[in-house]
Amino acid sequence: MKMLCLRNVEYEKNGRKILHGVNMTFRDGMSYSILGPNGAGKSTIARILMGELKPTAGGVLLDGRDITGLGVTERARLGISMAWQEPARYEGIRIREYLTLGGKLKAEEDEIREVLELVGLPYELYAGRMIDKTLSGGERKRIELASLLLLKPRYAILDEPDSGLDITAGELIEELLGRFRRAGTTVILITHHDEIAGKTDFAYFVCAGRLVKKGFSREVVEYYRRTCGRCLFVEGSP
Amino acid sequence: MTIKVDRVKEYEALLDIYEREGLDTSLFGDRIAAIIISGDRIIGLNNVPGVEIKGEEIENGVRADVRIADGVELPFPIHLCTGYLKGEGYQRVEFSITVGKNSKVKFTSHCIFPYAKDFTHEAISKITVGENSSVLYDDEHVHGEGVRMISKTEVDVKAGGRYTGKFTLTKHRARELKLEMTAKLAERAVAELTSKVKAVQDDSVEIREVLLLEGTHSRGDLKSTVIAFDNSRVNVVNEAYGLGDYAKGHVECHEVVKGEADVQTVPLLRVKNDKAELTHEASIGRINEAQLVQLMAKGLTEDEAAELIIKGLLGE
Repeated sequence: MKMLCLRNVEYEKNGRKILHGVNMTFRDGMSYSILGPNGAGKSTIARILMGELKPTAGGVLLDGRDITGLGVTERARLGISMAWQEPARYEGIRIREYLTLGGKLKAEEDEIREVLELVGLPYELYAGRMIDKTLSGGERKRIELASLLLLKPRYAILDEPDSGLDITAGELIEELLGRFRRAGTTVILITHHDEIAGKTDFAYFVCAGRLVKKGFSREVVEYYRRTCGRCLFVEGSP
Repeated sequence: MTIKVDRVKEYEALLDIYEREGLDTSLFGDRIAAIIISGDRIIGLNNVPGVEIKGEEIENGVRADVRIADGVELPFPIHLCTGYLKGEGYQRVEFSITVGKNSKVKFTSHCIFPYAKDFTHEAISKITVGENSSVLYDDEHVHGEGVRMISKTEVDVKAGGRYTGKFTLTKHRARELKLEMTAKLAERAVAELTSKVKAVQDDSVEIREVLLLEGTHSRGDLKSTVIAFDNSRVNVVNEAYGLGDYAKGHVECHEVVKGEADVQTVPLLRVKNDKAELTHEASIGRINEAQLVQLMAKGLTEDEAAELIIKGLLGE
């Protein structure tokens, strides 16, 4: 079966263990949340999936192939891409140029318009704007999401896509999930908001670097709410 | 445009270079006020209503006096073209530019030294921006491998005036560059000085930008962006002096380093008026890791990502 997996992943930094034997499976065509409080290790998992961080033990598998040793570009070229929690600023680069990766990604102007407007950025106002300090964090976040919509990767990792956005974030996430599903993209959504996690098909609840619960998102979210996000029970690896 | 008969060939050679480099050849048209210099000779001169350019050939170069009358607003830029089409030698150009009151003009200055192997170019400019006038001075360069360039510009911005100076040397080698720009600002005057330079191999770049915020409510920005590769040496000094009441200045220097380049930046902020306010930001280092990795996560290689980031920084 087509899938992206974490197998017994451990991660240690400065002598402190951040992830403890994490196992996760992301099947093609589904949407997943990784839910947990701040400091749970969610973004570390995202960065390990993307290849920015290498696990100190365990591995990452894509369709059964070990891709642990592959770097960020190689993974992106296998179809794994990510919208970052804190998108960078790019002095002198216009949004249109960023979305098309300086012309490397062929896209029609209509497609650029569509993805920008889908994330709530009117094309006329934004396509020609620079990604510099004149844009807010929320605007840059929307640009990151638009870039993945245009890229149509096989796996889209969305790291805290709702943070820094206004009250329309929930609707936007729902719209994005629908759009990614139609494009055949598997979404892996990192969040600490249970209501956002509830919008995906499945969820993993992570706390203190351990997998606490996995299952249908409504079950996991219900458990998360009942325990107020605390690690009362550590589930065995799937 | 008045072109001296014996200088048509040089004029045409310059036009060819403009075409080759993708520069705007319409700047040679009759509607454009212009002075075209080649070596120590004036090969073209054109005046339009409100603009008077006078040129004088001096030893090893040219002295030019440019006067803009009061209340002039030009639809086209004033073209200052300084060429040197030989491989070796020395050239000195002196510009005195006076813009009257309530005028709005743009200068496009091109320095064209495409065949330079061992050539020294010295440019001394004095610019006066009259009361409530606005001047944009865009300075672009086409250099061969061996240019030693010394450029010194002094700008005096009168009350309510605005001066924007842009210096760009990014597509060709800097080799040896000494760039000095000083802006003195009167009451409510505004100045922005921006320089973008790319240094490669063993290039040596020295940039000094000075902002004298003398007038009440004067405002100024200094911004330098330098990309230093290989064994190049770069030293950027940005100085701002807050002298007038409520004067505001900002100094910004960003230097991206790759290879064995030796780079230093010195911001100097000095306030002699407790109502003045100066700020600065500076960065030196490799290309920002977050920028690189975020582009790589979209499928670019590290080199492709770096190239895109640098193109953006240099405004190419």
